[in-house]
Amino acid sequence: MSVPNTMRVGPFTSTVLVKKRYITFYIFLIWISVIPILLEFWVYWRFLWHPIRPVHFYTFLPLLAFLMYITLVFSSILFAKILLIIINAIHKPREGVFLRIPADRDYRYWSLRNTIKRWPIWLAHRFPFPGFLDNVCFKTFGVKTKISNSLFEGWVDTEFITFGKDVVVGQGAIVQSAVIIGNLLIIRKTVIEDEVRIGSHAIIMPGTHIEHNCILAANSVTTVGQVLERGYVYAGIPAKKFKRNYFFEDGLEDKIGHVEDVEALREKYEQIYTKRYDKLKLKERRELKREKKEEEKKRFDYAADEWEEFDDGFNI
Amino acid sequence: MVKMSEEEKESELSDSDDSNNEVIKEEVSLQFHLYIIIFAIIYYISWVIPGFVFWLYFFFPFRLFFLENIGFISLFTNLSSLITLLIMPLVIIGCYLIHILLIGLTTRLIWGITERISPSKSGIIPRNIRSRVANYYHIRSFMIKYGKNTFTKGIFPWLSNWFFNFVRSNKIGKGTTLEESVVNDKFIEVGRNCYLGVNTVLASHLIQGIFGNISYFKIKVGNNVTAATMGGIGAGSEINDNSFLLPFAATPKHSIIKGNNSYYFGLPMRRIFRKKIMNYLDLTPKDLEMNENIDGYKDKKLLKQLKEKETSVDKPEEIFNNKQMLGDVHGNEIDLDNLKKEDLAIDFTTSSAISRVNVKFLIVYLPIFWLSGLIVTIIWYWYSRAQVSSNFQWSFFFFFPFVLFGLLYIFIAGCLLFSKLFLILINLIHKPKEGVFKAEIGDTNYEFWMMRTELKKIALWLFRNSPFPWTDALAFKQLGINMDFSSHLADTWCDSEFIKFGRKVLVGQGATIMSSMVIGKYLLIKKVFFDDYVMVGGHTTIAPGTIIEKESVIGAISSTTFDQVLKPGWIYFGIPARELKENKYAEERRDVIIKRQVAEDKKFEMTYEVNIDEDKKKLLKPKKELKQK
Repeated sequence: MSVPNTMRVGPFTSTVLVKKRYITFYIFLIWISVIPILLEFWVYWRFLWHPIRPVHFYTFLPLLAFLMYITLVFSSILFAKILLIIINAIHKPREGVFLRIPADRDYRYWSLRNTIKRWPIWLAHRFPFPGFLDNVCFKTFGVKTKISNSLFEGWVDTEFITFGKDVVVGQGAIVQSAVIIGNLLIIRKTVIEDEVRIGSHAIIMPGTHIEHNCILAANSVTTVGQVLERGYVYAGIPAKKFKRNYFFEDGLEDKIGHVEDVEALREKYEQIYTKRYDKLKLKERRELKREKKEEEKKRFDYAADEWEEFDDGFNI
Repeated sequence: MVKMSEEEKESELSDSDDSNNEVIKEEVSLQFHLYIIIFAIIYYISWVIPGFVFWLYFFFPFRLFFLENIGFISLFTNLSSLITLLIMPLVIIGCYLIHILLIGLTTRLIWGITERISPSKSGIIPRNIRSRVANYYHIRSFMIKYGKNTFTKGIFPWLSNWFFNFVRSNKIGKGTTLEESVVNDKFIEVGRNCYLGVNTVLASHLIQGIFGNISYFKIKVGNNVTAATMGGIGAGSEINDNSFLLPFAATPKHSIIKGNNSYYFGLPMRRIFRKKIMNYLDLTPKDLEMNENIDGYKDKKLLKQLKEKETSVDKPEEIFNNKQMLGDVHGNEIDLDNLKKEDLAIDFTTSSAISRVNVKFLIVYLPIFWLSGLIVTIIWYWYSRAQVSSNFQWSFFFFFPFVLFGLLYIFIAGCLLFSKLFLILINLIHKPKEGVFKAEIGDTNYEFWMMRTELKKIALWLFRNSPFPWTDALAFKQLGINMDFSSHLADTWCDSEFIKFGRKVLVGQGATIMSSMVIGKYLLIKKVFFDDYVMVGGHTTIAPGTIIEKESVIGAISSTTFDQVLKPGWIYFGIPARELKENKYAEERRDVIIKRQVAEDKKFEMTYEVNIDEDKKKLLKPKKELKQK
């Protein structure tokens, strides 16, 4: 469904600003992209403004506002693209490992590109009909994608990414082609092939190659340069093979079912997810299991001292 | 004093033989009247001056020289009309800047007043006992939201550091970038030259259950710390200089991260070493060496030489040939009849993002926009007619902020009304139902599901982008979620049908609640049910079919599986969620908290303060006393 209030910028352009002077590009873009819509408004005003009979003017005003918004998006895309072509001619965007210091040319230009792309992408994403304008932005700024893909619920980087057809990026999933870790900026090309499902809150690191018919489960992370083999379900931090993916076959409507043995599933997950319990507390965990069986134990029964000690390790 | 509906009183009484009838259990009552007053002050001041400047420019030079200019060519040849045209965008930018600066100013003033009455300090605030500290904590949380949203989601997100420093809710050092995130708005201290990626949560305030405590501890982040996406740092943590967090590195409350060029990864995070770093990040030893001795590379000339060397040794590019791989997806070896049950069990969670964007929905949107826009323009005509015909009217400028706010909500309400009408029509044609469907064009259930989702989006989208995002409960209620106004969903991705909420459900920021899920070629729709007083942590994924029973809590960054049932009164955590410990009420707080050294697994105890009014302190019982009883 729609993106929550605290998160609404959507397509991921980093706000890193290496040099303050890049803002001038940004303001220039806003300035120049507003002018066409003012001219549009002038045309409308000339045709329909009549101080004594204002009916026509006010009737079609909502439609004009709609049209002006779309014009604004397209004009900003156009001017941003022109600026980007010039800047890419000066310094070609490239993959690699760069340093996160202003002296590094690639880092500076990465930041400049993001600053320029921000205005059209921001506009496109604020439009209440999500997806359509976002995809136009993606396509013009160098992400290979299909118009029918839905990429707008997550954050998707705006360069060095290729999407196949019928890709679903889940709510809050992050698909990156550039990541900052330590003093390094890692830019790698991310490839996502046809018919891929990415779970919500999954993170795809730069350089990941996801092959056909893959499913990446929710809350998983891929590593840089990982290749997810075709036809598998992946899960885990970092992502590991979970099982064969049969969900792209036909005629399974009646066979798909829920899990019956939850404990076995948990053990399976224990193996693929990073261990999240302290080793010292294993004893208490066994204690907990035993306690659980004694059903007469009610809430606020303070006789069981072990419980209190068990608690202390977890500040969650 | 205790406000509870009749129904709840009964349930209270039935619980009373649980030997905890002395437990104070009181719902937080939010002081909405104060919130609205504070918001109105901030909103009015921040819009009235920019509104005045904009409309003055619009009515006098712009209308006179530009709009009333008859020939298209003379727009550009006539100097005064050309200048008014070129200055107009700058006026818009200027007004916007004045608007956000005024937000900063007024928020700072009111923030200062509340800080003087009840200063924010590290400690625990009981959530089930009404107190001044808790009230002011909530007021501050509400107050900062409008400013935070306008700054970080606005046109100039780079100013948000200035905003936080100016309001004095955070201390953010020079050269630090905070990407968009769900909290990060108060009580954190970030050093210089840090980078906190998208969705990295510095949660200085954590709520433990509806009747639990608010842990409100300062988070300290040192210099040159980077966190890639989706990290989670609990309250009271200290991150020292030069610690680098990989994606999804999360840590519970009161962790100390040692820093010193170390990398952290996992849930909860652990330190990782050379081999794993190179494996996860696909780095060479040289890159690691550069990272450690970054000061040695700050010279531009040296860097240039190094890069020239690098580019001369070009790596052969891998070319992925899609065509070659087609056809042998699984071969013919798969016999669908022989598949085991576990092969087809839904033991993992994916997402419910719609898999196709259809431009044809624009046709439905246009009438919705137009009709609700018409209501707005009619009111605007009535409001502005005196200003347009005669020359100058002070009242037009004075009431502009209120009219702006009113018209925005009238527009949104109109959109909600018309999309609701469309929805009724669509549901008459095809009734929504649960089950497993094929996610392909041609399946009626799937197509109607898509249509419903798209139709509901517009109203929800507008509500969530409005100054009061929590009003989206109204939209959810109208569009098919069974809930009341005591629950808040404004900060979640939430499907809008087949979900039932009990009373006072608290859903964390950035959580995902799905009643539908796309798995491969199939769409699963199943009802999700939340009982009363359930709490869901931030960034948690709730799969379809989940049933969460009364007073249960799911921790942050967890996920449930399809059809999972969570027992009442437990705290769940993990992927998939599993029982961690019993959910207890606030009065059983421990007097010590354990600080944890993440890298060395050392733990040490420290005491904390319970922030509550003096006269309420008698309500808090030390643990030992309770034990003897």
